[in-house]
Amino acid sequence: MIAGIIANPASGKDIRRLVAHATVFDNQEKANLIRRILLGLQAAGVQTVWFMPDYFGFYERALDAFSGENQLSMEIKLLPMQCKANQEDSQLAAAKMVELGVRCLVTLGGDGTNRVVSKGAGVVPIMPVSTGTNNVFSVMVEGTIAGLAAGLVATGAVEEEYSLIRTKKLIIYINGKAVDIALIDAVVLAEQFIGCRAIWDMGKIRQIVATCGEPFHIGIAAIVGALHPIDMRESKGINLIIESGGQRQYPAQSSSIQVNAAVGPGLIRSVPVRSYELMSLGQKVVVRHVPCVIAVDGEREIIVGPEDCVEIELVQTGPLVVDVKSTLKRAAEKGLFINR
Amino acid sequence: MALNKVQMLELYRKMRTIREFEETVAKFFSQGQIPGFVHLYTGEEAVATGVCANLEKQDYIASTHRGHGHGIARGASLNKMMAEIFGRIDGECKGKGGSMHIADVELGFLGANGIVGAGLPLATGAGFAAKYMKTNGVAICFFGDAASNRGTFHESLNMASIQKLPVVFVNENNMYGISMSQERHQNISDIADRAGSYGMPGMVVDGNDVMAVYEAAEEAVKSARAGGGPVLIECKTYRHHGHFEGDACIYRCDEEVNAWKAKDPLPRFANRLQEMKMATEAEIDQIDAEVKKVIADAVEFAQNSPVPTLDELTKDVYCD
Amino acid sequence: MVEMTYSQAINEALEEEMRRDEKVYILGEDVGLFGGCFGVTTGLFEKFGGERVIDSPISETAIMGSAVGAAVAGLRPVPEIMFVDFLGVCLDELVNQAAKMHFMFGGKAKVPLTLRTACGAGVGAAAQHSQSLEAWICHVPGLKVVMPSTAADAKGLLKSAIRDDNPVVFIEHKALYGAMGEVPEGEYTIPLGKADIKREGKDVTILAYSMMLHKALAAAETLALQGIEAEVIDPRTLVPFDKETLYKSIEKTGRLVIVHEAVKQGGFGGEIAAMVAEECFDFLDAPIKRVAAPFAPIPFAANLEAAYIPDEAKIIAAVKSFF
Repeated sequence: MIAGIIANPASGKDIRRLVAHATVFDNQEKANLIRRILLGLQAAGVQTVWFMPDYFGFYERALDAFSGENQLSMEIKLLPMQCKANQEDSQLAAAKMVELGVRCLVTLGGDGTNRVVSKGAGVVPIMPVSTGTNNVFSVMVEGTIAGLAAGLVATGAVEEEYSLIRTKKLIIYINGKAVDIALIDAVVLAEQFIGCRAIWDMGKIRQIVATCGEPFHIGIAAIVGALHPIDMRESKGINLIIESGGQRQYPAQSSSIQVNAAVGPGLIRSVPVRSYELMSLGQKVVVRHVPCVIAVDGEREIIVGPEDCVEIELVQTGPLVVDVKSTLKRAAEKGLFINR
Repeated sequence: MALNKVQMLELYRKMRTIREFEETVAKFFSQGQIPGFVHLYTGEEAVATGVCANLEKQDYIASTHRGHGHGIARGASLNKMMAEIFGRIDGECKGKGGSMHIADVELGFLGANGIVGAGLPLATGAGFAAKYMKTNGVAICFFGDAASNRGTFHESLNMASIQKLPVVFVNENNMYGISMSQERHQNISDIADRAGSYGMPGMVVDGNDVMAVYEAAEEAVKSARAGGGPVLIECKTYRHHGHFEGDACIYRCDEEVNAWKAKDPLPRFANRLQEMKMATEAEIDQIDAEVKKVIADAVEFAQNSPVPTLDELTKDVYCD
Repeated sequence: MVEMTYSQAINEALEEEMRRDEKVYILGEDVGLFGGCFGVTTGLFEKFGGERVIDSPISETAIMGSAVGAAVAGLRPVPEIMFVDFLGVCLDELVNQAAKMHFMFGGKAKVPLTLRTACGAGVGAAAQHSQSLEAWICHVPGLKVVMPSTAADAKGLLKSAIRDDNPVVFIEHKALYGAMGEVPEGEYTIPLGKADIKREGKDVTILAYSMMLHKALAAAETLALQGIEAEVIDPRTLVPFDKETLYKSIEKTGRLVIVHEAVKQGGFGGEIAAMVAEECFDFLDAPIKRVAAPFAPIPFAANLEAAYIPDEAKIIAAVKSFF
C-alpha cells in the first residue's frame, strides 16, 4: 500500500510563457495540488507515500500543511537521495521508489517529466498529473481525483485490466546505441543547440516520429492528429517528413500537405508535411537530417553531430498509465465508495 | 535567428574575456594591488553574454555590484575598465567609481551599483525614456536573487508593467545573497514565479548555457522592442568565487561548488562548438590565447595610468 | 506683474518648461487626472496628456528611481513626491543614485531631474506629513536644494531647476500654496544659488526661508515700530548657498538670527551659523541666534502644533535679546 510522488518544480516555467501564452504553474500551486493528491491517496487506503526531494521542498511543504490536528493518518517520507536539480533526480527517484515497493507513481510535470520517470519506473504504473505546458501523456485532472485513482491502483483495489493503459514508446539510437526514449514524439530539428529546450519555431522541424496523436491534443501530436489520428493504445506509430522552412521558395515542391494544428498553447500553425508513413511495432526509421537536434516529448534533448547515424524505433514497452475515469468507474461498480 | 559560426565564436570570446578579466582581477586583488571590494562574475558569464548579444546601440543595461561581466558583454573598453578597478585616472570613471561603479553611459551601460536592487528602477526609467523618445530601444536590468526581495524589484516590475515599458528584467539567480542561501532568504525557489503578480511573462532558463540565455533574451528583447511590455527571465547560475574577494565561503560546501563547476558555461560551450564541428580545438585555443593577451594589455594599460590628481577630489560633484 | 498664488506660479513654470522642452515630463502620485494632491498640477494632464503628466502608483522608490534612469538616458523628469516626509521611502534613489552618479562615473553621466515635494506644518497633518527635512538632503554632495517662499521665486527658481543638469530637490511649503504674490509677466528665471534681500535694514540680519520668510518679514515690521531695522534675507536656494549676500549683510548689521521651521538640532541653520562663525566671525557683534522647532515630532493638536512652529514672537524675542 505504498505510493510515490515525483514532482518537478521546474515544470510550467519555460520560454513558452513568453512565446506562446502558456500557463504559468507556480510552485505554491503545485504544493497545493500535492496536498490534494495526498488526501486522495489516503482516502483510497494508501499507508505510505514516498517523496522525491527537490529544490523547492514539496515534501516539507506538504508536511507543513498537515501538522497538528490536520495530521495525515498515513506516513509520508522523504527519499534518501541527493537532489541534483536536474532530470536524473526523477529517474533515480522512480527507480528507488520501485525498490521500496511503491505500487503507483504520481508525477507532477509535463510529458518530459514522465519520459524521465518512466525510465526508472519499470512496470510500476504512473499517474501523470499535468503541471506542464503542452501535454499529451500527462493529464489535466483535479488532484484529489488523481490521488484517489492512484490510491486505488496502489492498493490493488481495482483490477489492472480496468485501471491501466499500456503505452508505447520510441527508442532513439545513435550509431546503433540506444541513447534515449520518447513517450509521445521525437522531433528532428534543424538546430544546433538545446538552448531553451522548447519548440516554437515550426520552420525548424524536419521530421516527426510519434507514438500517437489526436486532433484534441496540443503540441506536435496535434499535427499527427490532424493528419492521421493514432490512439495511445493502438499498435502503431507514425513517421512524418516535413518540408524545410525555406520550402515556400521552391513552388515546385508544393505537393506537400499543409496541416493546420495547435502545435503549442496559443500557437496554431500550418506545417508542410511532405510525406508520412505508419510504423508498426518494432519498426525503425532513419533520421536523414543531420546534424540536428532531436526534441523528445517536446524538449530539445539530443544533439546529433554531422557524422552520426540516427534511428528511431517504435516499441510496445512504454510505461503503464493509470486510466483515471475507468479506475474510478470500476471502483464505484465494486461498491468501494459505499460504507455498508 | 540561428547564429553563424563567427557569431558563435564571438559569444565564446566574450565569455572567455569576462573569465580572464575576472581571474586577473582576483590575482591582482590578492596581491594587494586593487583596493576596496570586488565581486567577481566568474561562473555567470553565459548570462551577460547571451543577453547582451541581442542588444543594439540605443539599448541600455543596468547592472549590479557584480558588474564587470555586464560591462564587458556590453562592449565597454577593457583597458578603461581595468584602469578603473585599479583606481587610475584613465579608468572609465577617472578612478572615482571603482569596481562597484563602473559605467559607460554613452554605451548605454548605466553602471554597476553598490546598492542591491538599485538597478531595477534605473532600468525602468531608461526603458521609459526609450519609449518616450521612441528610440525603439530596450532596457535590460540584471539583478540577483536577493534583490528580488527588495521593494525596488516589486515597485519597478509593477511600474514597468502598467506603463508597458520595453524592459527585460534578467534575474541572475546564483542562489545566494551574500551568505544567505536562496532557501533561507525567500520562500520560493523560482523568482520567475513572481512575474505573474505583475502581469508579465516570466520564465526560467539554464543560466549556464549561453545558447539558452541567448534564445530567451532574443525572444524577450524582440517582444519588448515590439511594444509587448516587460518580461522577466530567471537565469539559474552560480558564482565560482565568494560574494566578494576574500570571502571564506563558510556557507556553502565543496560538493555544491564542484557540482556547479562541472556545469561551467565556458568548457560546456567550447565542447559543444567542437562537437558540432563549428570550431576546432585549435581555434578555441587561439581565442583563449588572444584573450589572455588582450587582458594582459589591459593590466599594463591600468598599471601605466597615473592615479588621479588630488584636484579630482572635488571635481564632478556637480555638472556646470 | 500679475497676481497669482504660489501654486499657480509653480503650475505656470511647469507648463512653460514642458512647452519649451519636450524632454520634460511629470511623474507622481495623483499628479495627472486628479491634478495633484494639492492641486498644483491642475490642468496639465488635459494640456499635455497622460504620456507627459504621468499618474504613478504609490511607489516612491520607482517614481524616484525611474526618474533617475530616465534622466541619465536623456530626459528631464520632474518627479513629485507628495510629501517631503516620504523621502524615506526613496532616499536611496535620491542619495545613492541621483546625487552621486555624476561624480561616481567620472563626470560622464548627467542626472537632470527636479524632484518637487511639499514640506511644512500648520495644516494639522501631524508627524508624518508636516516635516521640514531639508537638512537631510543639504548634507548630500551632488544635490541642489531649493526652498522658495514666494510665488515669483517659486516660478523663476523652478524653471531654472528644470533646466539645470544636476538633480535638484525643490521643496514647496504646503501652507504657502494658496498665498498670493506678484509674479513678473512673461518669461523669466531666477538663478539657483542667489539669495534675495527681501527687506533692507541696518540693525540685525534675519535669515529665513520658505514659510519662515513671511514670519520674519512680519516680525521685522513689528521691530521697525520699535526702532529696530531688520534686514531679511531669503537664501531661496540652500545648496548652492549664497554666502556673499549673507556675509555682506552681517558686515553691515553685526547680528544674525537664523529662522527655520525644521527642528533646531541638526538643522541647516546650524550649518549656516558654523559657516558664519568660521568665515566672518569678525563681523559679528553678538552670538548667532537660531529660531527653530523644538526637538520633537510635529504634534497633531492645534494648540500644540501652533506652539511647535516658530512664530513672529519668537523671532522678535531673539532679535530683542541683542538690544
